[in-house]
Formats: sequence, C-alpha cells, structure tokens
Amino acid sequence: MSDNPAIANGEVLIRVENLCKSFGDHVVLNDISMEIRKGEVISVIGPSGCGKSTFIRSLNLLEEPTGGSIFFEGEDITERGVDIRKVREKIGMVFQQFNLFDNMTVKKNIMLAPSKLGVLTRPEAEKKAIELLEMVGLSDKADQYPAQLSGGQKQRVAIARSLAMNPDVMLFDEPTSALDPEMVGEVLNIMKELAKKGMTMVVVTHEMGFAREVSTRAIFIDEGNIQEDNTPEVVFTNPKNERLREFLKSVL
Amino acid sequence: MKKCKKIPAVMLAGAALMGLFTTAVSAASGEEGNLQPEIVQRLYDNFVKDDRWKYLLEGLGNTALITFFAMIIGIVIGFMLAIIRVAHDKNGSVPVLNLIAKLYITIIRGTPVMIQLLIIYFVIFAAVDIDKVLVAIIAFGVNSAAYVSEVVRSGIMSIDNGQFEAGKSLGLGFPTIMIHIILPQAFKNILPALGNEFISLLKETSISGYIGLMDLTRGGDYIRSVTYEAFLPLIAVALIYLIIVVLLSAGVSWLERRLKKNER
Repeated sequence: MSDNPAIANGEVLIRVENLCKSFGDHVVLNDISMEIRKGEVISVIGPSGCGKSTFIRSLNLLEEPTGGSIFFEGEDITERGVDIRKVREKIGMVFQQFNLFDNMTVKKNIMLAPSKLGVLTRPEAEKKAIELLEMVGLSDKADQYPAQLSGGQKQRVAIARSLAMNPDVMLFDEPTSALDPEMVGEVLNIMKELAKKGMTMVVVTHEMGFAREVSTRAIFIDEGNIQEDNTPEVVFTNPKNERLREFLKSVL
Repeated sequence: MKKCKKIPAVMLAGAALMGLFTTAVSAASGEEGNLQPEIVQRLYDNFVKDDRWKYLLEGLGNTALITFFAMIIGIVIGFMLAIIRVAHDKNGSVPVLNLIAKLYITIIRGTPVMIQLLIIYFVIFAAVDIDKVLVAIIAFGVNSAAYVSEVVRSGIMSIDNGQFEAGKSLGLGFPTIMIHIILPQAFKNILPALGNEFISLLKETSISGYIGLMDLTRGGDYIRSVTYEAFLPLIAVALIYLIIVVLLSAGVSWLERRLKKNER
C-alpha cells in the first residue's frame, strides 16, 4: 500500500497483520492488514454488519482475534504474556453507548482510571478532570451523575474520560450513532478539535460529512476486509470499488 | 411506592393476628364476662410467672445473634462465590475455583438446611466441644452464602457489559472494575432480593432447636411445655418474628432510598 497517498510519514503506531476474527462459523474479519501512523485521523466506513466495529474493538483486544497479529508501538499485543492493561492505558476508546460509570459523578468518572492506575495522584487527577471538562465545555456538570446528562453531554464526558489517561491513539466506535440529531454536532466538534491538536484517531462512523472533512484517510470495509483505503477525496468522489460506490449512493 | 405497599400489609397481618387472638380468647373463656380476668391470668401464667418471659428473651437474643452473624458470613462467602463465577464467565479464568463454587452451590442448595445443621453439629463437630450458637451461625451462614451468591451473580449480570468494557478500555484490572464500578451498581439492584434472603434466613433459624439450642422458637415451645398452653406462647413468638421482619425490611427500603438518592 506504499502507493497510497493518504498514508502519512509519521511513525507507525499500530500495525495490523492478517487479522482474522470469527464467531463460530461466522467469519467477521478476513485477513485484514494495515498500518496506523501517528497523527492520522482514519474514518472507517462500511455497511452495517461488515465488521468495522469488530475491527476497531480488536485494536485494543476487546475482541480477541482468532488469527493474525496486532502490533502496538512495536509490540505484538496478541502474544501470550503481554500485559494488555498496560497497552489499553495508551489506547483510548469511546463507545456508541457512552458507557459512563453510572454510580459516579462526572468528575469521578474521569478521575478513576488515572488515580487508580497510579498515573496521577488524586489532586492531580482532579485538576486534570477539571481541565478536560473545560475542554469539552462541561465544567458546570462536574458533580452531576451521568443520568442527569443528555446523550451529547455524556459522550463529551466519555471523551474526556479517555483523554485523562493521555492515550497515544483514540478509538471511536460509532460515537454519534446513539445521539439525537441535534447533539451530533457538539460531539463532532470536540473530535475535530482533537484532530486539529494532532491526536491519532480511528473513527468508525456513519457521519460521512465528518469522514470527508476531518479525516486524513478513509477506509471502506466490506465482507470482513478493507476494500478501499485512500484519501477521503478519492474514497468519496472517485471510488474504485463497486460495493463502495453502491454504499455511498445509499448513504449520501 | 414500596412503603405505601408495605404498611397496609403489616396492618393486615396485625389485624389478622388480633382477630385470631380475640376469637380464640373468647372461645376459650366461654363467657364474655370473664374475659378480662381470664386473659390476664393466662398472660401472667405464660409470661410473668417464674420469669417465663426470659425464655423468649434469651431465645430472641440467640436468634438475633445467629441471624446477624450468619448474614455476615453469607454476604462474605456469597460475594466471593459470585465474583469467582463471574470472573470465570467473563474471562475464562479460575476454572478450578469456579468448579468448587458450582459444587458448593449445588450441594448447599440441593439439601435441606436442617440436614446441614444436623450434619455440622453431629458429624463435623461431633468430637469437639463447641458452642451451639456458633454451630448454628456456621451452618446458616454457609447455607445462606449459596443463595446470596446467586443473587449477587444475577445482580452483576444485570449490569450492562459496556461498563466492564469501558473499564477495560481504560486499562483497569478486573478487581478494580468489580469493586469500583460493577458491585456498587449491582448492589443497588439486588437489595430487595438480598432483603428477601435475610428474611428467609431469620425464619429458617427457627429450626436451631434441633441441636438443643434455645432460640426464639424453642423458647416459646418451652413455655408451652410447662404451661400446657400452645396459643399464647406461639402467638407471641410469631409476633416477635413478624416485628423483626418488618424492621428488617424497613431497613432495606431505607437503604434502597438512600442509594437511589446518591444517583439523582
């Protein structure tokens, strides 16, 4: 894929080699290989059930691959004996359903991981939480519980919670799919800001506007494999793959 | 809501008991006019004479002691069993412990608690001079743990898997996720079922008399054996159980409301 104009020159953060995943007889991912470089913002698109969620969830081993390897910063994290928790500290993840800890205030949600994992002391973690809440525009919600927030607010807190661990890469698994339409914008704006700051991001999304405008690279997955991998301009305006063309016709 | 429902139930039970009481008393006394002195005399014979109320008090003390400590043992072992089983289901780890936990639950739930009590007293501790109350605490605690573990497990399973995944994605380990995220949420969900279990436990301790221990039931029964009157001592015992259960469930719903408030 050296001829891919979308791929940046940065160092390789994640390298996926021949990744396979099947649930019983059902093959979801079929021999995916690709690299993610520092500073890239990669949109992953594809029809539902194509395996794009499984793909992104494999990157931090929330799904155990049934074949192939995933290298994170040079280390094969699918090897036995690798402390996957250490790896996950460096890979942030934002979920479709937010998954905020319902039993904690917004601030405690953000503070939990850095203080429990000894990355920050409690006062440091609290300071960081307040900074991050400011960044996502929710300073006034610090002491509220998730149940009191709107969907968009929850997702912004979830982003802040991931950022509290200072991850090297952020994975977004359909971050706006569970939101009411009027709340999609506020979440996308935060993500745009992150991208501008140079965060490496992998985003499974149905927001074609976002994919086109913000990402540096777009990947189309279908039938368990990458069918097209290029700059967003090429993927959206001049797609080569027949299924991608059909897919774009149905969503745009 | 809960409270509104409970109060009429208690009042109904109380009213039923009172009805039963007065009917029986008037039936026994035969004559309406003699009702007052007759009942006073019987109350005196059953509870005051020779300090017979002390049997009930001593029995109540033992019943409370057994129930309280058995509850604690039940909670401790029950949570451990549940966490072992969930750890196995979620991560495939601890297969041996999981097998032991399953075996424990199967055996304890598969045999009557009375047989367990008798086995622990007459077989396991046969050669040891051990306090009977302690034997009962162990027997009922071990028994309750099996039920508590399934209640706790169902509570943990009721928490969305996304909570686990979010914890994992941050790099948190299984114990941290359990203690700080899952159990606090699960505990709130299982409180009513736990309350249920401890109400059952309290009443199950009424078989403690089988190992020759003076619990509340045995205390009432002892009075019956000296006064040859069944009605008053047994009704008194029933009323005391009822009052404890009402207090226990009031405590549970107080805790429920408090935990709910924490999240609003």
